[in-house]
Parts: sequence; structure tokens; C-alpha cells
Amino acid sequence: MTTTRRRFVQGGLATGALVAAPATIRAQTTPPVERTIRAVLHGDLRVFDPIWTTANMTSYHAGMVYDMLFGVNDKYEPQPQMVSKWSLSDDRKTYTFELRDGLRFSDGTPVTAKDCVASIRRWGARDGGGQHMMARLADTPVKDDKTFQIVMKEPYGLVVEWLAKAATNVCYIMREKEAQTDPNQQISTIIGSGPFVFNEGAVVQGQRYVYDKNPNYVPRSEPAVMTSGGKVVNVDRVVFENIADEATAIAAIRAGEIDMIEYPNVDLLDTLAGEKDIKLEVLNKQGQLGWARVNWLHPPFNNVKARQAMLHLIHPTEVMKATFGDEKYFRGCSSLFGMGTPMENDANIDWFKTAPNIEKAKQLLKESGYDGRPVVVLQATNIAYMNNAANLIAQWMRQAGFNVSLQASDWGAVVTRRAVKAAPDQGGWNVFFTSGSVNAFGNPVSLSGHAANGEKGWFGWPSNELHEQLRDKWAGAQTDAERKQIAREIQQNAWDFVPHLYYGQWFQPAALRKLTGLIGMPELIPFWNVKKG
Amino acid sequence: MLSYLAQRLVSTILVMTLVGIFVFLLLHLSAGDPAAIIAGDYATPQQIVAIRQRLGLDDPLLVQFGRWALRVIQGDLGVSIFSSTPVSALILQRLEPTLSLALLTMLFAVTIAVTFGVLAAWKAGRPIDRLLMGFSVLGFSMPTFVVGYGLIYIFAIELRWLPVQGYRALADGIGPWFLHLVLPTVTLGLAYVALIARMTRASMQEVLEEDYIRTANAKGVPARTMLMKHALKNAGVPIITVIGIGVALLIGGVVITETVFNIPGVGRLVVDAISKRDYPIIQGVILIFSGVYVLINLAVDLSYSLIDPRIRH
Repeated sequence: MTTTRRRFVQGGLATGALVAAPATIRAQTTPPVERTIRAVLHGDLRVFDPIWTTANMTSYHAGMVYDMLFGVNDKYEPQPQMVSKWSLSDDRKTYTFELRDGLRFSDGTPVTAKDCVASIRRWGARDGGGQHMMARLADTPVKDDKTFQIVMKEPYGLVVEWLAKAATNVCYIMREKEAQTDPNQQISTIIGSGPFVFNEGAVVQGQRYVYDKNPNYVPRSEPAVMTSGGKVVNVDRVVFENIADEATAIAAIRAGEIDMIEYPNVDLLDTLAGEKDIKLEVLNKQGQLGWARVNWLHPPFNNVKARQAMLHLIHPTEVMKATFGDEKYFRGCSSLFGMGTPMENDANIDWFKTAPNIEKAKQLLKESGYDGRPVVVLQATNIAYMNNAANLIAQWMRQAGFNVSLQASDWGAVVTRRAVKAAPDQGGWNVFFTSGSVNAFGNPVSLSGHAANGEKGWFGWPSNELHEQLRDKWAGAQTDAERKQIAREIQQNAWDFVPHLYYGQWFQPAALRKLTGLIGMPELIPFWNVKKG
Repeated sequence: MLSYLAQRLVSTILVMTLVGIFVFLLLHLSAGDPAAIIAGDYATPQQIVAIRQRLGLDDPLLVQFGRWALRVIQGDLGVSIFSSTPVSALILQRLEPTLSLALLTMLFAVTIAVTFGVLAAWKAGRPIDRLLMGFSVLGFSMPTFVVGYGLIYIFAIELRWLPVQGYRALADGIGPWFLHLVLPTVTLGLAYVALIARMTRASMQEVLEEDYIRTANAKGVPARTMLMKHALKNAGVPIITVIGIGVALLIGGVVITETVFNIPGVGRLVVDAISKRDYPIIQGVILIFSGVYVLINLAVDLSYSLIDPRIRH
């Protein structure tokens, strides 16, 4: 058979139609661009189980797929979300919760009290606040399909606060089947009753995570405020795009290929400022807090004077300026609970008013009896603010008389080494830098880093009996005023024994392209209430 | 020929075994703990230990290696520590973008470079030769990310002719697939254009001085026939060698290009896996790439005898 020109053209057209066919089929199920939000968030979504990890990206994912029993309003007060009504017994030990009507998982099955109890128990095994609560828990009886109780051994004022908190780990409600998974093992099925459904078929691991509007979701009637109120979804699809290169992400939003960057590179913000469709907006008004942990197990920081010396030598403004440039995006932090949180206070902050004071740091270091041994400072070079903080603080430490050994690696190596309890010259460490959401610091009990329970605690292993007693007292307080007073006592004591240090608080703006209604809050980017165009 | 082929295949398996042992040891002896990364920043040391135990990362190194090697022999590259997805599925998902980019890049590079090289050799010492070789030096000297950002700025942001980033599967249609690959291909290909063009010019110049070319010229053979049929074929072996090396180097080159243009390829997969210490992915990708590398070299060696019948294996 000879190939004629006509036959060749026919063959070409047939091949083209064949290749294009799947696209045609897909086009029928892919929502239009104007009904799709493509967002570049602060990192890759590596783990899908919000109980297995404390990573914020996982909490963002879970906030789409799962719902919570309680949310919080803009005053951080708990408000019923999946719950319709609840009550506390006269002896203040028994909480009774009733679920609202119409709650369904995305597979169509109704949400029951059994699902809630199993989810609370799994969360309680992992979360700091949850563990604190579970240690005082007597029982969680299920009364009927929609009603369950949490019975405490003693009056405990934080049950609803813990269920409502947005800081990781969040108490998201899963099906009983998944919630019965060992908390140290990742769940394998992602089915929730939240405003979106995870579209696993459209996911490209490490690149793109797709969420479609949940047709089974019934939002509350109240207006959406933070995680409380009606989670009304105004788009058909949200895509988390993981664009690793910051300059590419900036170019993509300028070209209209994406609609949002959670944390655009601050050095490139000027290129966005002139774009008429793009606005820069600080969504997390509390911001992030940079903190330095010192190792209590080894000299010199097993001595309080050496730790106090560190308190006097850090100059937060300089550290922040090195990374964030414009002063409107950062501030110093003198409160143990972060600035702008309900527990913020000004107890025992004289050191902050005079810092940096290298002479004072020198004097305190001398009083500590420091023998000049190398002080190992871990420097994560792949994260700009940690890298800059390590460089600057190491220099100030040298000026104060520390013999600093700055050890550069990537963040992955830092998280491994910080767990080593051996002496710094045997693979251990003396100082490392990290950061967290200020919202998490506002709670003295749920943040693992606020504990001072020695080697059982978080890396750095601070130890202070009074601090632990005060944390317990705070958890047992019945009123906000009482909690605030105890928070002052905690801070008064903490800045004397110095469990850790802060090197600045920052508020990085998000870049939004033609998006309105995005609720600004810490720890979560809520994609309900958002309109595009 | 057959025994040569068998020998090379056996050596490929040997190389992959050695690479497997080396990569496994390198990864497990270097700093980094996936359990700590999985657990997140607020996790307590106890929670990290529990995850490590659950993932079997606390087992002796030999046990972990044995477990992995046994799976690999059975054709199972394991599952991602983070997402629990099979590594082979993750690689397969990323193969199309990487292969598309690599093939288009080589097609672009070889077409342009051989044309440039032949032209420059033919017009050696003239302005066109200097211009083309100057362009080659430029292409070779400019870092990939500089070229990439420059092209994005001009063609995607200012002119809006092409997309900034991303990849469209072939199944979405050839048009979108091609448009998304134009800028990455040019970015990645420029260095190879320079490399291959310079080698083609040098090789062609040598051949153009041969007696049989002078004879062909004297007989009045048209320039095009003389260059393409007589000279280029005889100058082919070193050019094929450089192209082969280029293909192998491309495996490394795609990593930066895939990052700059946000292409979900194998290069990005392995870089992301390294940052989070997802050992099975890193081991799987490197193992497969080492096999591909050896097979490309084998293909280049075999192609010599097709171009030059005097070469026999």
C-alpha cells in the first residue's frame, strides 16, 4: 500500500484526535479557571495525617478536608462548629456535646458520636494539650448517634479550648475507622466531613494537591469568622501548587497562572507592588516567632548565668532586618507568650528594654564560670531567617566571649542533630534556631516547647519545677482573668531561668491576585468564604 | 557482537549493584532523620522515636539494607516514607515530564548545534564562524537559571507568549504540552548547543582538509552534498560521543530546569526527597538513573559501528 498525501493528512488528524481525546473528556470534569483557586503555600504537603505530624502544611490540608467540633472567633473564643449545643455539669466535670443535623462525611455516611470520640482519643494521644487533658480524663461515653460526653476526673477548664484550638495538632474529626489507627502510624484513607474533598486522582506528589468542593457539606448559618461560623465555599476547586522556586512563583502570579502566594520572597515584594490585580496582605496578624533553643544538658548553658547572657546579647531588630528588610514586617518580642496573644504580658522584661547589652552579657558569662570550651551553634543554611539569625547571633556571642563553633548544614540535618543528647563535641549541640506560629506560643500548656520538664521535654530539655507547677495551675484555671494572672507569674519566673530565647517576630504578607474574602488567621489558610475575580 | 552485548549488560547489573550499596550507605550514614521531619517541629523526642520505630528506621543498617535489596531484586523499589506511595508509581508519574524535556532538549540541541557546527567549519575564519562560535561561548558560560529567568521575563511576563511554569501532559494535547516545554527546552538546550556545535566544527574542519573532500570539490560535487554526505558522516564518531555524554549530563541538568520552570519531573522528585530524607525515593531514582546512564553509554558505543563500519566490537 502506498501512502498518499491525503492518507497521510487523514492519519495525522486521526492521531491528533486520539491524543486530544483524553483532554476533551477531562475538560468536562475540570472546573473552569474562574472557579479554581491555585495557591502556592509555604511548603510541600508531605504528610496527610494531621495527627501523625505537627507540620502546618498538613494542618492546612486537614482544614480543607476535615471539620472541627469547635472553631474560634476573632477573640480566640471557642464557638460550636460541628456541635449544635453543649453543656457542662454542675460539678464542672462532665461535658455533653450534641452534633448538629446534616453532618456527613464525603463518602456520604453520617458523622456520629462514635467518630468524634475515636477522633478525640487519637488526637489526645499526640497533641500536647490533648495529652494534658487525657491524663485527667475519666471516660468518653457515647449516649446516642449524635450525643457524647467527656467526663473528667476533676474540674478542668480547657476541654472546649483544646477542641477548638487551631494550633497543631488540631482535633479534626475523622471516621471512626481511620481514627482507630495507631497515632504513630499514618492513616491511609482521607475522608472527612469538611468543606472540601481531597481529589487524590488529580494529585501529583510534591507538585500539586487538589481539593474539590464537598457537595455533602452543610455550612452553619452564622457568618464565617476565623474557624467558626459558616464555611461557605464559593469556588469549585482549590489547588495547592508547590512551586519550589520563589522567583518562578512571583513570575507565575504576575502572569496570572496562580492566584496566591502565602509567603512571597520579601526581596521580590517590590516587583509585585506595582501590579494592579495583586494586593499584598498580612493574613496572620500575630505572625511567626523566631526562637533559639539552648541545651540545658551541657556547659555552658547548664548554668543560668550563661543563659541570661544570651538574653542580653540578642538584637532582634538587626536579625529581622537582615531577612525581612522593611520594619513594618517585624518587631521584637519580649513576652514568653508572643506579642499580640491573649497571654502577652510585660512581667520581668527589663532585659528586653536594654538589649542588646554586650557588656552585661560578658559580665554574666564570666559569672557563669565559662571555661572557653567550643559552643556548637547549628546553622540551617537552607532557610534564610535561620541562616541569618545564626550568623548574627554567633557574632554577638563571640563579642560576649563565647568560643563559637558555627556548624552549617541543611534543616533536615539540624532536626536530627538537635535530638542528640550527647556532649557537643560528641555529636551534640549547644544552640539551634527555629520558628513557630505566635498563636502556638500563646498557650503555655499545648506548645511542647513551653514545657520545662527536663529530659522528657522538647529539645533543649529545660527543667524548672515552679514553671511546671504554674503550667498546671494555668490549665486548671476557670476564668480568663485567672489565666492571665498565672501567665504573668509564668513569665516572671521564665525570664529568670531562661528556658529559651526569641530573636524576633515577623508578619510576612501574602500576595493575592483578584481574591477577596480570604479570612486572615494564624495556623491556617481557610479557603471557604473566598471569592475569585 | 552478541557476547559483547551480554558482557555490557552484566557490567550494567554490576554497576547498579555497586551504586545501590554506595547510595544506601551514603544516605544512612549522613545526617538526617525522616522521622523527625515527618513528626514536625513541635513533636516531642518521644513521638519521633515512636515514628522511627514504626518505620523500621531503628533496625540495624544491615537489616535495613537486606530488606531493601531483597525488594529491589523482586522489582519492588519500596514505598515513600512520607506519603506511603510506591516509589515506582512516583517515578512513573514523573517520567513523562522528564523524558519530554530531555528528548525535546536533545532534538533542539542536536538540530541547531550540528547546523551551526557544519556552517562554522565550512565558513571557518569568516564573520559567520566567529558569530556562531561567540554564541557558543555565551551559551556555555551562562548559568541555566540566568537564562531561564531571562526567558521567563521576556516571553512569559512581558510578551505573554508562553507560560511561566508548569507542565501539561501529552494527553492534554500536543499544543499545551509543547508550549509549556518551549522555554525549559531552550534554557536547558543552550549549553548543549554550544558543546555539540564546537565539537562538530572541530571534527568537520579536520575532515574538510582530507584529500577525498578536495577530490569531491574538484569533481564539482555540490557543497551541500559534500558537507552532509561526505564530510559529516565521517566526522560523526566524536559528535555522537559528545551527544552521548550530553544525554548523560542532561540527567543532572534537568534538576535545575525542572525547579525553575516548576516541572514535576524525576529531577525535582529526587531533590525534594533529599531535602526530606525520603530514602526509598532517593535510592530508587539513583538506581534507575545509573542503569539509564550505563545503557546510554552502551547505545553510543554500539552506534559507532553503524556510522563507521571499520569499528567492530
